[in-house]
Amino acid sequence: MTKLTVAAALCLGLMSGSAFAASAWTGGDDLPTNPLACDGTAAAPAAKPYDGGEPASAPDRKGKKITVVDIPKLIGIGYFNATSKGIQDAAAELGNVEAKTDGPTKANIDEQITFIDNYITSGVDGILFAANDPVAIAPVLKKALSKGINVVGYDANSTPDARQWFVNQAEFNGIAKSLIDNMAKEIGEDGSFAIVTSTFTTPNQARWIAEMAAYAEACHPKMKWLETVEAQEDNNLSFNQATTLINKHGDDLKGIFGMTSVATPASAEAVTQAGKCGSIAVVGLATPNAMKPYVEKDCVKTVVLWNPVDLGYAALQVMRAVADGTLKPGATSVKAGKLGDLQVINGSEILLGPPFSFTKENIGQFDF
Amino acid sequence: MNLPALLRHETVLALLVIIALATLAGLSDRFFTAENLLNQGRLMAEVGLVALGMTFVIVTGGIDLSVGSILGLTAILFGVFWQNVGMPLPVAMVAALASGTLAGVGNGLIITRFKVPPLIATLATLALYRGLAEGISQARSVRGYPEWFFFFGQGEILDVPVQLWVLAIATAICAVILGLTPFGRATYATGANEVAARFSGIRVDATKLWIYAGTGFLAALAAIIFVSRVTTTRSDMGTGLELDVITGVVLGGTSIFGGRGTIIGTALGLILIQALKNGLALSGVKGDGTIVVIGIVLIIAILVSAIVDRSRGG
Amino acid sequence: MSTAVAAVSPGRSPFGRFVSSYGQEIVVLGCIAALFIGVGAVNPRFLSNTNINSIFAGNAYIAVAAIGMSMIIIAGHIDVSVGSLIGVIATIAGTLAVGGYPIWIAWLVPVLFAMAVNAGVGALVAYTRIPSIVVTLGMLSILKGGLISATAGAWITDMPADFMIAQKRVFGIPSAVYFMVVLTILAALFMRYSDFGRAIYAVGGNSEAARAAGLNPERTVVGVFVLHGFFAGIAGLLFATQLQVIQSTVPPNLELTVITASVIGGVSILGGTGTVIGSTLAAILFAAIGSSLIFLNVSAYWLRAVLGLMILATVLADMARRRRTL
Repeated sequence: MTKLTVAAALCLGLMSGSAFAASAWTGGDDLPTNPLACDGTAAAPAAKPYDGGEPASAPDRKGKKITVVDIPKLIGIGYFNATSKGIQDAAAELGNVEAKTDGPTKANIDEQITFIDNYITSGVDGILFAANDPVAIAPVLKKALSKGINVVGYDANSTPDARQWFVNQAEFNGIAKSLIDNMAKEIGEDGSFAIVTSTFTTPNQARWIAEMAAYAEACHPKMKWLETVEAQEDNNLSFNQATTLINKHGDDLKGIFGMTSVATPASAEAVTQAGKCGSIAVVGLATPNAMKPYVEKDCVKTVVLWNPVDLGYAALQVMRAVADGTLKPGATSVKAGKLGDLQVINGSEILLGPPFSFTKENIGQFDF
Repeated sequence: MNLPALLRHETVLALLVIIALATLAGLSDRFFTAENLLNQGRLMAEVGLVALGMTFVIVTGGIDLSVGSILGLTAILFGVFWQNVGMPLPVAMVAALASGTLAGVGNGLIITRFKVPPLIATLATLALYRGLAEGISQARSVRGYPEWFFFFGQGEILDVPVQLWVLAIATAICAVILGLTPFGRATYATGANEVAARFSGIRVDATKLWIYAGTGFLAALAAIIFVSRVTTTRSDMGTGLELDVITGVVLGGTSIFGGRGTIIGTALGLILIQALKNGLALSGVKGDGTIVVIGIVLIIAILVSAIVDRSRGG
Repeated sequence: MSTAVAAVSPGRSPFGRFVSSYGQEIVVLGCIAALFIGVGAVNPRFLSNTNINSIFAGNAYIAVAAIGMSMIIIAGHIDVSVGSLIGVIATIAGTLAVGGYPIWIAWLVPVLFAMAVNAGVGALVAYTRIPSIVVTLGMLSILKGGLISATAGAWITDMPADFMIAQKRVFGIPSAVYFMVVLTILAALFMRYSDFGRAIYAVGGNSEAARAAGLNPERTVVGVFVLHGFFAGIAGLLFATQLQVIQSTVPPNLELTVITASVIGGVSILGGTGTVIGSTLAAILFAAIGSSLIFLNVSAYWLRAVLGLMILATVLADMARRRRTL
């Protein structure tokens, strides 16, 4: 019995020791960052040669009806419901595309790969995807390309050679700038903030946080980062984590960043239930419907996002253009239906546009 | 071991598999092609390997919920051994297999030495091993493996996927061990009546230790194949694996109370589930519908088997 | 149980008997106290009103679900579908509330649904002898897939304020806490003093002996599943009304958390022993651990490993304690 207790205590001590000693997790990744200029002068997008993949002997699909499947990171959250809606809107408008959305019920790369594999076998013409992991998804996407299927990504990229084009909602550093600037406006230049994000291994969130750190250091150096907590894509967990943050830091905490469309409304709810509306700012990425109650009560001032419906819409338009052969490697822009001309950046990425801010004035117009 | 009764469940299951294959082939003409079937074999290799070990575990009346976490942990360790520690890749593979086995031994020790019920012990190690994976990896993936490594997960020998060969060989070995060796008989005896087994001289604790270690080894093997298939390592690999594996094993006729079960049954159970997942998707059923069908099939299959059993007086 | 221990060690005082029959519960309570004192010393805000409130209220639904799960495990069975069931309950409740039905219907119907579903599961388990883990494994899939199919992935928002039962406060304490405490006490009394409660222990300990003693194991099993459905239903309501939106996916790993709470709380997986008080305490302990790890600045990377170690340590301590008193 004593041996047991000693062993257990030793283990706990060792583990806790390394737990404390380990560098604090910010949520960001280790890749190089590229912060924008503080005053917002747009950096000229670097012209890169086309680096996307090519389908092997794709059949001529010009003008013909095509079947497209959309496989997002997971189904059942507002964000991907919205992109799915955009895809359906574009399909209805184009008239010659049959599109459906299917995917795993949790953000799991194992399952997503199986879904894509099944659809390859079933012989779809095009695959739209939002990757759970950029490298892990590459082999199965390359398999799709080798079978002549058109592959276009959106929201979360894969390695460039595994897909033909990637519709980027906004540049990572552009989103970072938008978020940090909004937060600085609300909590002041020397406010302290915390971050509620998804998991350790979600690439987009990690990129944004890294860029946010770089931008804040360059342009708002006195703002203080307190900590980052992970909340997966679960509503209740996000709420509990945000509440714990509020309890832990008390008055030191002036702002919370919500890095996913689940984390932001949950954080806003935590702030509301703690009675701290107005004293703790919530800035983040979220869909308007989930944030309407908080924006209307002035608990949250701005919600930054791009328009995910537009993102899905653009993705399908790009897919149609690729299938028709009107969008070829080396193009500098593509016509995307009602969105007009979208720019090509970074070789094989298509930029949706600047981030969109939902505020009290305009949030009522959106329903997703 | 009740041979006639056992065979009855496997027969029912085999019938179900045939019916399912026929129906699914009818629903989609892309289902019953050599290419698709071989591809499915590739995709089910990881679950299949772990299910072999799980069959032994459940036959002894135990359970192992930590297999998914062991897979994730060994995948991370594999990457760490190769990239951070600098081992040559083949050595890293062996080290990863050893780590998985060690994790399994850990499970076995907690269960045999400290007498913790397997459900609770592996519930704790599920969290512990996954936590170790997250802590050691610090959320970094390891990528950039040499081309030859991808042979295991993406290559073919004689047009059959490599991992399918591995699975087939492992299945054969496990079937022989469980069905024909004294160790297999000891496994059944432990599950049927542990106290009696002990009194008749069977080394119950050693048997269990081997079985949990073996399951850890198989989980590590599955991890290497998985990493080879997706060319990267992540700390969340294998989450949810345990439920898929248990469903397959239970569907295959292994009794959760111990003492009954065969490798053939497990194989049939896994084939049925994989066929359903794939065939339904090919005929246009979306992910959620497939999950529901699998749940219903599980209950009905066991129900039918129980009724058939009852009517034989077995 | 306590009489058996008294027979073995007749020289024991009533206090000694109390300690040995409630040993695990006392251990958990001790852990909670140690945690609060320890973390409170490091960061006093851990003991603040709002934080204690969050710990208790935010996870009350897990404690309530664990009451039902404890009963199931005491009866010798298990339910791995409770997480999916709670997700479905929450969605049904939310849909009814948004659909304009009277609030009490939005509260009552989901609970009845949970009880009905579990009655079916219990009947299957009791009368066809299919192991409960198999039936509930199948149920888990059916409920999870069915939920996504039915909701098409959409979230439920805009629920009427009156519906939010978990957020109503009585004397400043969220109602969820009252539910947790009151239901635990009622369930504990029920299990200890009512005929059906004792039948559950008997059937869980040795089903055939119970039958020989005149009990009807099949009906007991169905009954305990229905009870479990009731608690799962309440837990679902609390879960649904914590936030302003209801997700259409089931909370990940909820069933494992609930089972772990029951087991840590002293319910033996072999059936026949344990109390619901232990599981409630364990649920509170988990919530406290989760919160404390953030307060202690434990690197997020090692969170889950530390949690796993703590579970292991608690279980090993319990095993050691059992061996001593036996």
